[in-house]
Amino acid sequence: SDSAPTTSSGDVVTVFHDPENFNVKHPLAHTWTLWFTKPPSGKQDWNELLKEVISFNSVEEFWGIYNNITPSSELAPKSDYHLFKQGVRPEWEDPQNKHGGRWSYTFKQRQANDDIWLHVLLAAIGEQLEDDNDNEVMGVVINIRKAFYRVGLWTRSAGTKANPAKQGQPQRTPQESQAILMKIGQRFKAVLTVQDKEVIEFMGHSDSANAGSTRAKAKYSA
Amino acid sequence: DTTKNIEPAQPTAGMQSLKSARFLEIKNDQFSYPDGFKSPNPALNQTGKRVGKEYDMDFLLQFQSVFKEKPTVDWDLRVKETLGEGDSSGRQN
Repeated sequence: SDSAPTTSSGDVVTVFHDPENFNVKHPLAHTWTLWFTKPPSGKQDWNELLKEVISFNSVEEFWGIYNNITPSSELAPKSDYHLFKQGVRPEWEDPQNKHGGRWSYTFKQRQANDDIWLHVLLAAIGEQLEDDNDNEVMGVVINIRKAFYRVGLWTRSAGTKANPAKQGQPQRTPQESQAILMKIGQRFKAVLTVQDKEVIEFMGHSDSANAGSTRAKAKYSA
Repeated sequence: DTTKNIEPAQPTAGMQSLKSARFLEIKNDQFSYPDGFKSPNPALNQTGKRVGKEYDMDFLLQFQSVFKEKPTVDWDLRVKETLGEGDSSGRQN
């Protein structure tokens, strides 16, 4: 392995040119952290069950991870995968999630569809869920449960007055924020390939926390 | 599992390439993808601070069968420690 053969692309060798000896990788717009919630086996705190797996910032790294980790369809009930922007814990209590909410859809099947979760991951890392200056997407999550699985998308705001401004950006009105959240919800629904007649729902985290996640009333739907 | 590694695992060529590779700059780097591979959707990546860092699904899916290297030499152990054995799934590899 002295010198790489000269290619028609000059000295740029992608993983498609040579998967073993490439010299460029595809950057992501953000560094993402994958988290895993382990099913409880005793009486641990939820916090002890939530574990950071790895952080990454290139397309190639993503695939190395995805191709070598348990697919969602093989996870035991009460497991979750969370893919969040680095520095944000996938919890309501994280200061960056405090005023936020989530879009979610429950699939009434026991076994997760790996393609659906993969497409959600790709839409997140490829920046297909929001426009450049929206700064709403915090992360995506899949909850595996006994009789269903749920896929969610967490946002920074919930269209309320407590509307956190991202550094260096003007504060949005609740209406502006709602319009962005609706657009994100529609894109998320398309990625999930949920039928038009089905509904995905948005809830603010504080509403979920106060009412109990199953009883809280959805704020918006798409 | 009857074979136990005695020597420490060595990183593969692919792992080393991933580590040493620089970030591609779609705007400045002159190159083309090999025949049969699509570029990222040109409608993306036009403006803004995410320039060159937006990828449509079809582009990203092309990597699925191309890059399968584990992130680190101790990856399997790390996955086992983090994800555990599951409770009663009985899944073994």
